[in-house]
Amino acid sequence: MELLVALAVGLMTATGVYLLLRKRSFPVILGTMMLTYAVNLFLFSMGRLAVNRPPVIQVGGNGYTDPVPQALVLTAIVISFGTTAVIVTLALRAFLEAATDRVDLAGTTEKDSAES
Amino acid sequence: MRLMLIIAIPFFGALLPMLLARAGRRACAIATGLSTLMALVLLLSHAPVISAGQAFAVSHQWVPQVGMDLALRLDGLGLLMAGLILGIGLLIVIYAYHYLGKDESLGAFFTYLLLFQGSMVGIALADNLLSLLVFWEGTSLASFLLIGFWRHLTEGRQGARMALIVTGGGGLALIAGMLLLGDIAGTMTISELTARREAIQQSSRYPLALLLIAVGCFTKSAQFPFHFWLPQAMAAPTPVSAYLHSATMVKAGVFLLARLWPVLSGTEWWFYTIASMGAVTFLLGSVVALFKDDLKALLAYSTISHLGLMTMLLGLGTEAGLIATLLHLLNHAAFKGALFLTVGIIDHETGSRDLRNLGGLWRILPITGAIALLGLAANAGLPPLGGFLSKEMMLEAVSQVSWWGQPHLLTAIAAIAGTFAVAYSARFFAGAFLGEPGADLETAHGPSWGLVGPAALLVVSALAFGVFAQPLAEPILQTAVRGAMGNGDAPTIHLKLWHGVNLPLILSGVAILGGGILAGTFDGWRSLLKRRLAIEGQRVFRACEWQLVSVSRHVTERFHGGSLANYLTWFLVGVLALGGLSVWPSGLRSGDRQLLPINVLALLLITCLAAACLMTILLHRRRLLSVLMANVVGLITSIGFIYFSAPDLALTQISVEVVTLILILLALYFLPKETVAEASPIQRWRDAALAGLCGAAMFALTWVVLSSDGPTDLANYLIEQSKPAGGGSNVVNVILVDFRGFDTFNEIMVLAISALIIYALLDGAMHGAAADKLDHWEHDIPRSPEKHPAMFISFTRALLPLALLVGVYMFLRGHNQPGGGFVAGLVVTIALIVQYMVSGYQWAAERISIDYHSWIGWGILLAAGTGVASMILGYPFLTNAHEHFDLPYLGSLDISSALVFDLGVLMTVVGAVMLALANLSRLGRRAERAAQKAAEAAKLLDRGE
Amino acid sequence: MIAIVIPIGFAGLSLALLLNMIRLVRGPTAVDRILAADTMVINTIALIILYGISQKTTAYFESALLFAMFGFTSTVAYCRFLIRGDIIE
Repeated sequence: MELLVALAVGLMTATGVYLLLRKRSFPVILGTMMLTYAVNLFLFSMGRLAVNRPPVIQVGGNGYTDPVPQALVLTAIVISFGTTAVIVTLALRAFLEAATDRVDLAGTTEKDSAES
Repeated sequence: MRLMLIIAIPFFGALLPMLLARAGRRACAIATGLSTLMALVLLLSHAPVISAGQAFAVSHQWVPQVGMDLALRLDGLGLLMAGLILGIGLLIVIYAYHYLGKDESLGAFFTYLLLFQGSMVGIALADNLLSLLVFWEGTSLASFLLIGFWRHLTEGRQGARMALIVTGGGGLALIAGMLLLGDIAGTMTISELTARREAIQQSSRYPLALLLIAVGCFTKSAQFPFHFWLPQAMAAPTPVSAYLHSATMVKAGVFLLARLWPVLSGTEWWFYTIASMGAVTFLLGSVVALFKDDLKALLAYSTISHLGLMTMLLGLGTEAGLIATLLHLLNHAAFKGALFLTVGIIDHETGSRDLRNLGGLWRILPITGAIALLGLAANAGLPPLGGFLSKEMMLEAVSQVSWWGQPHLLTAIAAIAGTFAVAYSARFFAGAFLGEPGADLETAHGPSWGLVGPAALLVVSALAFGVFAQPLAEPILQTAVRGAMGNGDAPTIHLKLWHGVNLPLILSGVAILGGGILAGTFDGWRSLLKRRLAIEGQRVFRACEWQLVSVSRHVTERFHGGSLANYLTWFLVGVLALGGLSVWPSGLRSGDRQLLPINVLALLLITCLAAACLMTILLHRRRLLSVLMANVVGLITSIGFIYFSAPDLALTQISVEVVTLILILLALYFLPKETVAEASPIQRWRDAALAGLCGAAMFALTWVVLSSDGPTDLANYLIEQSKPAGGGSNVVNVILVDFRGFDTFNEIMVLAISALIIYALLDGAMHGAAADKLDHWEHDIPRSPEKHPAMFISFTRALLPLALLVGVYMFLRGHNQPGGGFVAGLVVTIALIVQYMVSGYQWAAERISIDYHSWIGWGILLAAGTGVASMILGYPFLTNAHEHFDLPYLGSLDISSALVFDLGVLMTVVGAVMLALANLSRLGRRAERAAQKAAEAAKLLDRGE
Repeated sequence: MIAIVIPIGFAGLSLALLLNMIRLVRGPTAVDRILAADTMVINTIALIILYGISQKTTAYFESALLFAMFGFTSTVAYCRFLIRGDIIE
C-alpha cells in the first residue's frame, strides 16, 4: 500500500509541476492546487500509514495513528485554500486590467517592439 | 540617570512634532525647541562639576553577550560636542521655523532633526564602542532623511543617496575597525581603552584597525578622497546644511578621532594616515572653494577644508595639535554656522545664491552683511576673531612638525591653504554685498528677526571667542582638553590674541596679502584653471554607481525576464540538483518496515487517480473540464485520508474542495474558457521531463520514508496527554486548539488577511480599466434564459436548515470526535453560499444579513480573547480549561474554553470565505447590471424609432 | 451473512467506480463528465458506508455526510456555470 501512496504523491507532483510550467494563469492555479494535494499527502504520510486507527481516543481502541502530521496538514489545507483564493483573485484582476492572462512578459514585449 | 535623559529627551521628543503636525507649525517648533532646550539645560547642569575635571558615567546592559552596553560618559570633550549640538540645535530650530515655507511639513522636518540630534548627542556621550556605532548609523540615516527633505528635488534625492552610501559605507568600515579595536583591547568601553594604549599600539592588527576607523571618520567628515558627498548634500534645506554639514555631523569624524586620540595617536601610522589626508583635504578644499559661484558650494568646500585642517592637527599627535583642533572645532561651528545661515537669508530674500547674479546686497541687507563680514573674517583667520586664534595655534603646531622628512612642507601647505581661505572669503563678501545690485534683486526684502537672530548670535560668539578669549573660550577649551586627554595631566592653556611678532603672525600677514591679491585678480585667471581643478571624486562615484546598476540590470534581465515558467524551471532544476547531491553517491534505500497489504480497490483507485491526473493535463486547455478532473483527484485523495485513518483531514479536504471550486468557477466566468496552445512540442516535452523528474523524486522520497519506521515519541505523548491535559478525545483537534493553538490562531489570521486582500483586489476592480471592461462585458458562452430553476430552489431551500444543523453538529462534537471549528465554518459557509447560487444574490442577501468584516474581526477577537484569558489566569497563551458537567436530559457535557476558541475559528472562517465569495460575485453583478442597462437603452432606442 | 455481502458490495462499487471513470475520461460532452463525477461521489459515499460496516466503526460516517452535501453543491455549481456562466447572480 505504501508503494501506491508514494506513486500517488509522485503522480500528483508531476501533474502539478507540468501545469505550473504553462504560460497562462489558469493552468498555473490548477498546478498549485495539484501540488497542494501532493504536498499534503506527502506530509500526511510522514506519520506512516495505518488503517482504521484514527487518533480519536476511545475505550478499547486498538492503537492510534500519529496525530501530528494530521494536525499540520489540516492547517496546511486551510492555508493553501487562503493562498489559492488570493492567487485566483489576483489572476482575475490581472486579466481584467491587462486583457491577457499570460504569466510572462513575452506578449507585452512583442507588442512594445511592434509599436516602436 | 540624568545622562540617559539627555539622550532620551531628543529621541522621545521626536515623537512630538509628528503628533503635533496638525496643531500647526508653531506647536511643532515649540515642542522641538523645548525638547532641545531641556536637553541643553540638563547638559549644562553637569558643566560645573565637569570643568572641575570630573566625569559622569552611567551604564546599562544592552547585549551583554557581545559586550554591548548602553554606556554613557560625560567628560569635557563630550560636553563641548554635546553643547555645540544642542546649543546650535536650538538656534537652528528657530531659524528653520522662519525659513521653511508655510506649506512644508514642519512636523516631519523637526522629527528628523530631533532624531539626528539624539543620535549625535549619543555619539558625543557614548562610552561603549558598539553603542557609539549605533548612534553613528543613526546620524547617517537622519542625515539621509534631512538632505532629501525636499523630495521633489532630484538633486536632493541624489545628494541624500550619495551621502548615505558614502557615510554608510564608511560606517561599515568603522564597525569593522571598532570591533577589531575592541578585540585587541579586550574591552568595548572607550574610557578603559586609554590604559591599554601600549598593548593596542603594539598589536599587529593595530594598523588595520586604525585604517578602518580612519575610513569611517574620513567619510563622515568629508575628507579626501571621500569629500565629494558634502557639496552634493547642499541640496538640503539651508538649516540642515548649517546644522549637519558644517556645525555638527561632519564634525563627528573629527570628534571620534579626538576621542580615540589618546589611544591611537603618536605612531607613524597615525601621523601619516591622518595628518596627510587632513593636509591634502585642507589645501584641496580651500582651493576649490575659490572657484565656486554657488555660495553654498563655496561654503561646502570651505567646510571640507576646515575639517581637513582639524584632521591634520589631530594627526600631528602633539598636544598643541589637539588643543588647536578643539579650539577650532568650537570656532568653526560658530562662524561657519553663521555663514550658512547668512547664505540661507540671502537665498530666502533674493531667491538666488549664485555669485554671478548677486551683488550690492549691503544696501538691502546691511545686518546680514555685517554678520557675513564677521563670519568671513573669522573664516579667513583675521584678528580679533576666534578664527584668528585657532589659526595662529594651528600654524604654531604645524611649524613644529616635519612631514616626509621635510620640516617646512606642512607649514607651507597650511599657509597656501590659508591664503586661499582669505581669497574665497573676500570673493564671497565682495561678490554678494559689494558692487552693483544684480538684475533680479528688486523684490528683495528685509529678513525677519527669526532668520537674522540665530546667525547674529553665532557670529557674536565667534567674535567673543577672540575678543574675550581668556574669560570665555579658555575655560571651555581647558575642560574639553582635559576630557580629551583622559588621564588628567592636561596642560594649562593660555589664550592670547597678541603673541608678539612670530612665524605664525608673519604667515598670517602673507596669507591676507596674498589672498587679497588672488581675490582681486580672480576674474582674470579663473578660466585658465577652472577645468583642471574639477574634482573627480564625484564623477568616479557616479561611474561606479552607474556600472553597478547596469551590471545588476543585466543580471536581473538575464534571469528575471518576467517568465514564471523560466523562474520555476531554474528553481526546480536547482532543487533537484541539490536534492540529488545530498543523497549522492550512496543513493536512497528503502527501509524494512512491515508494509500494508495492497487490495484490489486500492489498485482501482490509484488507476482512477492516474487517469484523472493524466486527463487534467490532457484537458488543461479546456479549463472547466480540467477543474473537474482536478476535483476527482481531490476526491480520491479524500478517500485516501479516510482509508488511512484521518477522518478530520477528509472532512476538511472535502469542504475546502467545494469552496475552492465555487471560487474558481466564479473567476472562470470572466477568464477565457479555453487556453490556446502556445508551447512548442520541444518545450512541452522538456516541461514533461522536468515534471516527471520532480514526480519521480517525490515518489522516491515518499517511498523511502514510508518503507522505514519513524519516531513515535511525540505521537504517543500527545495521545496520552490529549484527554488529561486537553480535555478532548479527538487528538487532532486538541492539538489544533490547545497544544498548538497559537499556530491555529495565526492560521485564521492568514485566512482573514487573504480575505481582506481579495476584498481590496476586487474593490479596486470597480474602477479603471477593469471596471470599464466589466461594463462592456460580452458573455462568451451560451446562456439559458432561466436564471434560477425552480427545482434547484425548492430543493436547496429545504436543505438550508439541515445543512446548518450539520454545521452546529460538526462544531459541537469537534473536540471529541472528528469535526471542529474549521469544518463547521466551511459547512455553514457552503450552506449559505448554496442559497446565493440557487436563489440569486438579491434573494439571499435580503435574508442573510451578516457583516462579514465584523465576523472576521469578532472571530479573531474571540480566539485571541480565550488566549489572553488563560494568560490572565497565569497560564501560557491559549491554555485550555475544561469542565465536565452532568446535565439533566442532555446527559454528560464537556465544556471547555477550547470551544470558545473554536467558535472564534468558525466565525473567522465564515466571515473570510463569505467575504471573498460575495466580493467575487460582485463583478458578475456589475457586468449583468451594465448589460441590462444596455439592453434597456437599445429597447428605448427601438421604440423611439 | 454480512461477511458474504460485503465483498460483493465492494466488487459492485468497484465496478461502478471503474465505469464512472471511463465515462469521465471519454465524455464526450461536459454534461456527461459532470454527471460521471457526481455519480462517482455517490459511489464514494456508498463505499465509505460499506467500509464503516465492514470495520464496525462509525468514525467515517460524517465524511459520507459531507460528501453527500458537497457533492450536491459542486454539481449545482457546475450546472449553474454551464447554463448561466455566472454561478452567483
